[in-house]
Amino acid sequence: MTALMEAKGVTKRFGGLTAVNAVDFRVERGEIVGLIGPNGAGKTTFFQVVSGFLAPEAGQVLFKGRSILGLKPHRISRMGMSRTFQIVKPFPEMTVLDNAMIGAFGRHPAARDARAAALRALELVGFADWAQRKAGELPVAGRKRLEVAKVMACEPELILLDEVMAGLTPSEHNDMIGAVKAIRASGVTVVVIEHVMPVIMQLCERIYVLHHGELICEGPPGQVVRDPAVIQAYLGEALA
Amino acid sequence: MDVVLTQTLVSGVLLGGVFALVAVGLTLIFGVMKILNFAHGDFLMLGMYFAYFLSVMFGVDPYVSAVAALPLFFALGWLIQGWLIRPVLKAPESIQILVTVGLSLFLQNLALFLFSPDFQSLRVRYGSDTATIFGASVSIVRLVASVIAVLASTGLYFFLARTDTGKALRACAEERLGAMAVGIDVERMYKIAFGLGIACVALAGVLMTPFFYISPQVGLPFTLTAFVVVVLGGLGSLPGALIGGVLIGVIESLGEFLLPSPSMKQMATFSVFLLILLLRPQGLMGGKLA
Amino acid sequence: MPSGARPSLLAQGAVVALAVFLLTLPGFAGSQLVTAIMPGGLSGSALINVFVLIFLFAYLAQSWNILGGFAGQLSLGHSAFFGIGAYTSTLLFLHLGVSPWIGMLAGMALAGLFGLLVGALSFHYRLAGPFFALATIAVAELVRLTALHLKITAGAMGLLIPLQSESFWMFQFADKVPFYYISLGMLVAVTALIWWIAHSRTGYYLHAIRQDEDAAEAVGIDTHRYKLLAATLSAALTGAGGTLYAQYTQYIVPDDILTVGLSVEIILRAIIGGSATVFGPIVGSFILTPVAEATRVLLSGAGSGATVVQLFASNAPLAEKLAGYGTFLAAGGGGGGALMLYGVILIFCCIAMPSGAVPWLLRRRKRP
Repeated sequence: MTALMEAKGVTKRFGGLTAVNAVDFRVERGEIVGLIGPNGAGKTTFFQVVSGFLAPEAGQVLFKGRSILGLKPHRISRMGMSRTFQIVKPFPEMTVLDNAMIGAFGRHPAARDARAAALRALELVGFADWAQRKAGELPVAGRKRLEVAKVMACEPELILLDEVMAGLTPSEHNDMIGAVKAIRASGVTVVVIEHVMPVIMQLCERIYVLHHGELICEGPPGQVVRDPAVIQAYLGEALA
Repeated sequence: MDVVLTQTLVSGVLLGGVFALVAVGLTLIFGVMKILNFAHGDFLMLGMYFAYFLSVMFGVDPYVSAVAALPLFFALGWLIQGWLIRPVLKAPESIQILVTVGLSLFLQNLALFLFSPDFQSLRVRYGSDTATIFGASVSIVRLVASVIAVLASTGLYFFLARTDTGKALRACAEERLGAMAVGIDVERMYKIAFGLGIACVALAGVLMTPFFYISPQVGLPFTLTAFVVVVLGGLGSLPGALIGGVLIGVIESLGEFLLPSPSMKQMATFSVFLLILLLRPQGLMGGKLA
Repeated sequence: MPSGARPSLLAQGAVVALAVFLLTLPGFAGSQLVTAIMPGGLSGSALINVFVLIFLFAYLAQSWNILGGFAGQLSLGHSAFFGIGAYTSTLLFLHLGVSPWIGMLAGMALAGLFGLLVGALSFHYRLAGPFFALATIAVAELVRLTALHLKITAGAMGLLIPLQSESFWMFQFADKVPFYYISLGMLVAVTALIWWIAHSRTGYYLHAIRQDEDAAEAVGIDTHRYKLLAATLSAALTGAGGTLYAQYTQYIVPDDILTVGLSVEIILRAIIGGSATVFGPIVGSFILTPVAEATRVLLSGAGSGATVVQLFASNAPLAEKLAGYGTFLAAGGGGGGALMLYGVILIFCCIAMPSGAVPWLLRRRKRP
């Protein structure tokens, strides 16, 4: 079966620095896959390549069997793969609902339909009560939730979540985990970049580990956590 | 080489020296505060009127006025930064641009109001003296203006490179939050940068009074030319502004020489400008301050 | 922004009253009452003139707002589109006898094409913010310099549109009143268009592009395409305004219509009223245009520079010099009083109301 998204040998260099080095990656439909690694490992850079914001020096990226290298981000989003930003980018002057509508317009050109779709996305991530709040006034947790809702309103098949837990309290983590599970339950495949280990352990079926731009391990959470190379990479970082 | 061509080149270089001083001020302001000062040329105009009236009322020689102009316009720049620029530093870029546009409107029409649209000129005894360089005849006042302009620009460069304040300014330009974190008073640095920038361009104005006409609208072409120079040299780069200034001075001079009508040379400048904006917006030196 | 509250009954009533007032104004403009109220002894005809200008500038500001306000791309060169529209219809009329209405369409097409070109080049090369603004200035100056040099545009002398005979088809009227209704009509039409856009996908997309272009791309917006659309539409509409102006003033010259100053005037109304709102430019024009006209009349000094120089170079005592200078200034100085005021207003509005009057007012209304 063709993977939903597949990356082969992706390499991205910035001048003398190789941020991502010949990384292979695949996601099957319906999975929740994790991408972890110490700071600076190249995780976000990888997302940027895969979602069309950066062009790699080498490698292939296939989505639904088609190469998407060289396509602009909005095209890739239309095809069904959308991403959130690590530093969240809400549209600050607009309400939460309007923000979500922006995403919904992709599949629903008429304003009325878009509004309905946006509301559905908000409900899915449990954010419908906040619909009329101005995005610029939201607290961190709200912005993260909005970021996810905005992207979900695009009705993607694959969603890339970049550190959605960062800056959240443990109880907010649980809310977000619930949201991600609801997303998968609705039929969307998920790839998460995360630092917070308990979350990764709870959410993901498979995990990829990046270190200095290279893939050092891949497998189910239980196996990855015991892998010596992974422990070595995280040496000095608390694993809980 | 053809005498006329030498003449053209030499006057181009001299003109370029003055352009450089104007541009240096603009690029400093942009480098430190990321603001494009659309009112820049109007401070040149103010400098000119300053020198003019000191001369007409009290018989002060423009080069003496130049010395007085420096602290005065530095203070003016300091104040304007605090009153007008600081409030909009966090506003959208279009608002920042429009504040300086508003300032430009105000200054031009203030001058119009106070002095009328009639052109003035400042006559000095030595205004028509000339010297000979490379076989070309150059007017002394243009030569002096250019030399002082280049010296001032170079002085500013070393100020930025060697002194503590200069280094603090460069720190602010590169990384504002980082600068704040190491205790640099960023607000003060902004005022200094703006003050220095205004002092430079006003100095250029004073230096030009012996050989250039004075009118309320004289600033606008200089603002536009300064933008061209700054973009050509690389926003935020002082050496770029110097080189760019001389280059544009020569291009304009050659343009005047080769093209049938004077306003056509403006078209040449703007066309070059568009090309730079499109093809190499980072300019010759692109990037860092000094 | 689209999801706003329904306007109150009071507001709706006020709008209706305003509409009635505007529609019937020319009827009573010439009356005694009006002439009595008007400052400086201006006539009813002058009042109509002010309103034509208010409507025209509001129209231009609305057109600019599509690109500059909604899409957030600050253009300081819209005078170029205005001028292209004006010259196209005028030249077609003078040389080929074409109806200015057709000429308006031709002008819109040309201006729109030009806007598309400028946009395509700028956005392709990723010009944004101040760089884009600078590019638009350069383009506008090139257009102005070209008009000054082409024989067909009669350079600095400008083009005169002689009044041949009153005719709607030929867009010529002896009286100002038809222009009043035409400009009002154009304003209403463009506002309706903008209202429709604002509530549609295009409007949302433009808002998103303005606020965060990367985020907009990430949620599937073809930012390049929408920015081009905004540029083309904005330019074309502005061009139509040029034709209206040409037919109204019957004289077009580069130093009036192709200057950076004119571009600034257009932007001022949009920004002060509230860019990125549907009614902001209208509010801005109603605030600024009367002020402009009034100060033009009241503060139009024509003192000469020779007077100033004489004053200061003379051997009279300082007090006398100052007194003389004071008189000179009180008579309006060398002119420029109106624009000085503009500069101050612009600066003030930028600092105090960076989003413009309409959002500022709406915020006040929300407070209990």
